Amino acid sequence: MNRRIGQLAIGLMVCYLALFVSLQIPQMFRTKQLNANPSNTRQVEQVFDKPRGNIITADGVVIARTVPAKPGDRFKYQREYPAGELFANITGYFTLANGASQVERVFNDTLSGKGIPLRNLGDLVGRTDPTGDVYLTIRADYQRLAAKLLGKREGSIVMMDPRSGAILAMYSWPTYDPNLIATHNSKEATKQLEKLFADKRKPLLANAYQERYMPGSTFKLITTSTALTTGVASPETLFAEEREYLPPQTTDPIENYGGKSCGGDLREVFRRSCNTPFARLAVLLGGDRFVQGANDFGLNEAPPFDLPSPAASFVSDSGERFEDQVPVLAQRGFGAENVQLTPLALAMVTATIANGGNEMAPYVVGRTTDRNGTSVTTTKPKVWKVAMTKSVADTMVDLMIGVVKGPNGTAQGRFSLSNGIQVAAKTGTAQLNPKGQEQRSHAWITAFAPAKAPQVVVTVMLKGVNAVISAGTGGRLAGPIANQLLSYAVLNP
Amino acid sequence: MSNSPIASRRRNNELVLILMAAVLTGGAYLLASLGKTSDIPANLIGFLVIVLGLLVVAHVATRFLAAGADSCLLPLAALLNGIGYVFIVRVDVRNRLAGLQSIWTLLGIGLYVAVLVLVRRVPDLARYKWTLLFLGAGLLVLPMVPGIGTFNGTNARLWVSVGPFSLQPGEFAKVFLAIFFAAYLAENRELIATGNWRVWRLNLPQPRDLLPIVAAWGFSVVVLVGQKDLGSSLLFFTLFVVLLWVATERAAFLVVGGVLFATGAVIAWRVFSNVQSRVTLWLDPWSQFGGTTLTGDKGRQAVQAWFAFANGGLFGTGLGQGSPNKIPAVQNDYIFAAIGEELGLVGATAILIAFLLMIGAGLSVAVKAQRPFEKLLATGLTTILGVQAFVIMGGVTRLLPLTGVTLPFVSYGGSSLIANFALLGLLIRISDSAARRNREIPDLPTLSERLAARRLRRQIVRADRIAAKPASSTSVGGSQ
Repeated sequence: MNRRIGQLAIGLMVCYLALFVSLQIPQMFRTKQLNANPSNTRQVEQVFDKPRGNIITADGVVIARTVPAKPGDRFKYQREYPAGELFANITGYFTLANGASQVERVFNDTLSGKGIPLRNLGDLVGRTDPTGDVYLTIRADYQRLAAKLLGKREGSIVMMDPRSGAILAMYSWPTYDPNLIATHNSKEATKQLEKLFADKRKPLLANAYQERYMPGSTFKLITTSTALTTGVASPETLFAEEREYLPPQTTDPIENYGGKSCGGDLREVFRRSCNTPFARLAVLLGGDRFVQGANDFGLNEAPPFDLPSPAASFVSDSGERFEDQVPVLAQRGFGAENVQLTPLALAMVTATIANGGNEMAPYVVGRTTDRNGTSVTTTKPKVWKVAMTKSVADTMVDLMIGVVKGPNGTAQGRFSLSNGIQVAAKTGTAQLNPKGQEQRSHAWITAFAPAKAPQVVVTVMLKGVNAVISAGTGGRLAGPIANQLLSYAVLNP
Repeated sequence: MSNSPIASRRRNNELVLILMAAVLTGGAYLLASLGKTSDIPANLIGFLVIVLGLLVVAHVATRFLAAGADSCLLPLAALLNGIGYVFIVRVDVRNRLAGLQSIWTLLGIGLYVAVLVLVRRVPDLARYKWTLLFLGAGLLVLPMVPGIGTFNGTNARLWVSVGPFSLQPGEFAKVFLAIFFAAYLAENRELIATGNWRVWRLNLPQPRDLLPIVAAWGFSVVVLVGQKDLGSSLLFFTLFVVLLWVATERAAFLVVGGVLFATGAVIAWRVFSNVQSRVTLWLDPWSQFGGTTLTGDKGRQAVQAWFAFANGGLFGTGLGQGSPNKIPAVQNDYIFAAIGEELGLVGATAILIAFLLMIGAGLSVAVKAQRPFEKLLATGLTTILGVQAFVIMGGVTRLLPLTGVTLPFVSYGGSSLIANFALLGLLIRISDSAARRNREIPDLPTLSERLAARRLRRQIVRADRIAAKPASSTSVGGSQ
């Protein structure tokens, strides 16, 4: 009988081996699929029954936190955004049925406690709260002022520290209230989200870095610095007084803004923002050098950013294509035709000039800490691109000071900071429609202060959605907003 | 207690292993509580003392009553029971089952000790085989007796209520029937194996030899099928076929058993709607998941069990950190899914290995046993344990269709736990008996044997005295 008992043992072993193999299916091979099944609410529920860390601004304002849920709620905790709409594009939302976005998504491990290292046995057995906090570089006071100044006008404001790339404020309107989406009433949350998705103004997108707009004359910053770097032009280069310029291969001339006559040395045409000289510069540079200049600023690629999905600005995919399209090149030279920049990209270009040619990688999260306030990670500023030499950058600063200070500067008299602190700026008025049609234009300004020791860059973009904005210029409409922000920021560093 | 070095080594091993099982149970209890509420349970020390106390009682009983027995069986059962208890506490929403389960454990260990006390010599059991058969059969039909049988609301009728107590007599019947099968086959196995009844060109066993066992088996399977307890019918069927095969050493029984099983399965599938629904649920639980009615949501257990396994992944969510309560009635049939969720593939595999080790220990008891009855009984009891665990774990992982049986020692349930401790007691007894037969420890007479010997001596003395009386006329020689 012993042989049979041995065979029985083998038979049972085979049965248990089959059991072991059958366990692999749900526990190894189909884990992801099963966990992602919409009927499977285990993982979200585990998350919503646990505390979650705070998101805190650089000046210590808590802008996302977890509070005990109201009695009768399915879960123990409710995510809350005390400032409502103000920081929606930065914090994003953290929801039951609709996932998470922005900092809530990218820094989920820190906030939920998965990314916080264990230090002692107490942590291991879960006696202490494992969640961590995320500290932003965003200043709540700057953000509040930016939102107030923009008001109910469609547009974006970006403020950054040119020395580090730290984003100090980033706001666009329209936006949304993340509290409405974070509600545990999934039906209601989904309804709100669908409404926001359907909105053509894209309130869910962080327009300041996820949407691209025609930059208009602000793009002359790039054309000019490229021309200076390549030696195609110097500040003394003279441009003839002219109303229009006819590039090769076309019969359609390029006009100055308002059809005015414009000319002079580079300082003057930059300050007055003539169009024809920059069209000529682009043609002189040629496609390859022109596109290389834009690439030096990283304008044809998405910048490295710690928020998800930054949009890539667009100047051109290659330089060669301009060989038989010189008129297009000429138009792009002053930011017309198909050039598209995100407000963040323009702020970065401005910051590069302010920072002596070094373009810093932008970031919104300064550091993360554990529950006791001990730092877990600290963001180190990184140079992303070197776009120009220090001397070219200094020249660019002088040119931009001219825009604010010099005779006929497009932002002349728009900036008056306390103690006579000098501002450097460039305006833009991007005409969206061809001649003859109803005029619509974005109003831009990008500026920094103090001009000789830059601390803060401001980029303001007002979308040309109505006749009031379209009738103005960047200097007149966006200038005062930038002025107030720079005044405040310089006084309250 | 024996002074044999082999016996004391085995018992000391057992004690160390039991301490390890207690530490694991206590640690799991602590972690489950921390995971659930972030608090160290107030009754942790008391809990540990009780767990350890119960195990030490079982150990001491073994030391005194079965000193030569295998040293792994009791610690493995303790470990499985401890882990099961932690999970029952953990999924116990109304704080009702945990207290009951500890009473069942107490009773189980009590019965374990009682088995060791009452069954001192294994062959004694064989003498009562017919009594045990009728007891087992009686237990099986008990749930069908009007008045005490209760219908538990689902589709099987397995319960008996007496006053406030309800129990599943089937759990005990399986032990009784295993004893009967083993005893009958040990006596008649040669007759059955040689088979001198020629039908056409086949040598078949005489119907007379096979009839009692076939009748017993047929009766139990029919009764259980009538109660729609498919898990137990499958278990009885396997037990019968395996014992017949091991006893006669004829593989033909295995083949015939397989064919019969396949036929039975097909017929059951045709005839019983609940078998059909089980098979459908096995193949595609998703089709009956998420409905708003009970029938539209029959797949919930199976689907949620898979979700639980997936949530656990390789290392599990950690004790107290999963959501096993999403599986309806998780403390009974589906406790294995809760283990898979919170301890992961690693923990679930550890449970598989613990059962495999118990099977290994049980079958090695069978191999070491000398008498056919002991061999067959050890084989039968181990088969019950191993196959029952396999059938329910396979049902939970969807390797097999689900048949509602408990996971031995782990699931919640008084009858199952108590019956399994009795089963364990028998295995320990057989193991000890084998050690005595193999002269690993001295085979000292038991108390009752010593009493019997004393009675016998007195009778002899009395008989001698009577014989010595010259006046006796009843003496018919021979005593000199």
